[in-house]
Amino acid sequence: MFDLIIRNIMNRKVRSGLTVCGIALGIFAVIVMGAMSENFHQTFERSMSVTSDKIRVFAESGVFGGGLTDDKVSDVLRVAGVEDAYGLLMTTFDEDKMGMTGKQILGVPPEKSSVALNPVELKTGRFLNPGDSYNVVVGSNIQREYKLKIGSKFEIHDKYFTVVGILDYTGSIFDNAVIIPLETAQDLYNVGDSVSYIFAVPDERVDAEILSKRIEFSVKGTSTLSPGELEVQASQSFMIFSVITISSGLLAAIIGGLCVMNTMLMSVAERTREFGILKAIGAETRDILLLTLGEASVMGLFGGILGILAGTGAVYIMNAWLANTRIVLFLITPRLLIIAMLFALLIGALSGLYPAYRASKMSPMEALKHA
Amino acid sequence: MPETGTEEEGLVIPRNLKVEENRGNMGNEGAGIIMQVENLSKTYSQGKISVHALRCACITVRKGELLAIMGPSGSGKSTLLALIGTLEKATEGRIILDGTDLTSVPEKLLPRVRREKIGFIFQHYNLIPTLSALENVELSMRFSRMPKKEREERAKALLEKLGLGDRLSHKPSELSGGEQQRVSIARALANKPAVILADEPTGEVDSKTRDSIVRTFKELSEKGQTILVVTHDPEVAKECSRVLRITDGVIKDY
Repeated sequence: MFDLIIRNIMNRKVRSGLTVCGIALGIFAVIVMGAMSENFHQTFERSMSVTSDKIRVFAESGVFGGGLTDDKVSDVLRVAGVEDAYGLLMTTFDEDKMGMTGKQILGVPPEKSSVALNPVELKTGRFLNPGDSYNVVVGSNIQREYKLKIGSKFEIHDKYFTVVGILDYTGSIFDNAVIIPLETAQDLYNVGDSVSYIFAVPDERVDAEILSKRIEFSVKGTSTLSPGELEVQASQSFMIFSVITISSGLLAAIIGGLCVMNTMLMSVAERTREFGILKAIGAETRDILLLTLGEASVMGLFGGILGILAGTGAVYIMNAWLANTRIVLFLITPRLLIIAMLFALLIGALSGLYPAYRASKMSPMEALKHA
Repeated sequence: MPETGTEEEGLVIPRNLKVEENRGNMGNEGAGIIMQVENLSKTYSQGKISVHALRCACITVRKGELLAIMGPSGSGKSTLLALIGTLEKATEGRIILDGTDLTSVPEKLLPRVRREKIGFIFQHYNLIPTLSALENVELSMRFSRMPKKEREERAKALLEKLGLGDRLSHKPSELSGGEQQRVSIARALANKPAVILADEPTGEVDSKTRDSIVRTFKELSEKGQTILVVTHDPEVAKECSRVLRITDGVIKDY
């Protein structure tokens, strides 16, 4: 039966080709939008794995509200169950670009730089040491973009820093991080002894969720985000982002599906007499269903393959183009390819269901009378 | 053999016990009977209007008969053929073909009946335009799930027998009217049916081709193939072993 299906498709080359292109466009959108979502997902997962053991302590008024100073670090440290605590100052590296490139300055107490970044490892050099003031550790993307090596001079906010360490690639936010000593960062950005947030490391025997509430209760003017809460919050943000990106791709694919349905309905209408003949010579309902559904599914398959190839190609080209700006926006994963292919097949089959049902339910006598 | 189902394993077409009673009533003549139509009626209803296309038709057909059905347009000839061919459902009556009461066969088993017991030949040939002559003949065997090699050999043999050995790979559009009709005959013969139903098979061909088609029918009939031919053409009817005439849905001179 497969040979008949292929032949029927090939007999209507232009129409079938346009239908396949319709699906391919939809799957192309699924791949591109999905690749964006996958990249976001990977960055999120890796960033979470890097910081998931710490409680974040913010000023009650939020990260950008101010009011969180170095003395709060001591207050947090005094809370029972807190093994370690240190403040971090986070600001955008490229203020002129409104932080759109994702590059961030991270002011970290030098003695805490290795633990604050744990488990991120160094590709080369060292972390910050006590006494460092104008030394810098850079993420892998920053190093590539500015072609930095150990000992290179790196300008931040009109001051020159010496690169002492380069981080390994992590696929997380730390790839775009510029890590400098906290005090230097506070001077550079003229924020006094303010910090953006405090990392509180829970004692191994303490439940981080309970400790998070205890810190919030004990240290006035703060709010906390436990690892569990952070995960929930980040998951929700990820979910919203995914829904927006994936649904725009799905919408395009559904339009492709309507193309298939339209083509198949036209094809069934044109071949009414043919279906009558097939029924008169003994075709079963399942034969007719198989023929029409098969055609729709094969068009879905071809559209899927074409869409995946085009989408993967476009993502590759865009990633290569964006490589100069150190922005990685897209990530093709095996999961995304499988989902896109299954979706193409599903769209083809579902779009073919109604035309197939109509063809199979035709009265052979009525169909034979059809001009 | 069980009382229901035919001899072929897996075929679940109910064998109506009344068939045997009818055969009994036929006396000695019943032995060669392949088809019996009893009080067959077909009424089409459109709202309050009813059209009686066929009224109480009774026909007995013997195996190997070449039977012509004649009558003016709209007299019910094609309706009779459609009912025997299970393309339409009778309002009343029974059709017993090769021991099976076609009017009591469940809807979902009708394709199998059409495949295994009936061969159709249409006035407009009704070949699938995208398939070659060989593939058109193979089609009904394909639906019977016959292995590819076997069906190819059978289709080829049938077409060669009908003088189309050199036209196997030609599409219908590349064949003459007569050749297309011969492909259609080969397709009808493919599954060795109990009866061939031909609806105006010579309606669109010249007299030479018509004679050739009629000659083919006669040869098939002589070999035991039962054929019912609906025709307007007295020349065709003249060559048949028996002629039925239908007027206003009534078979007059049976």
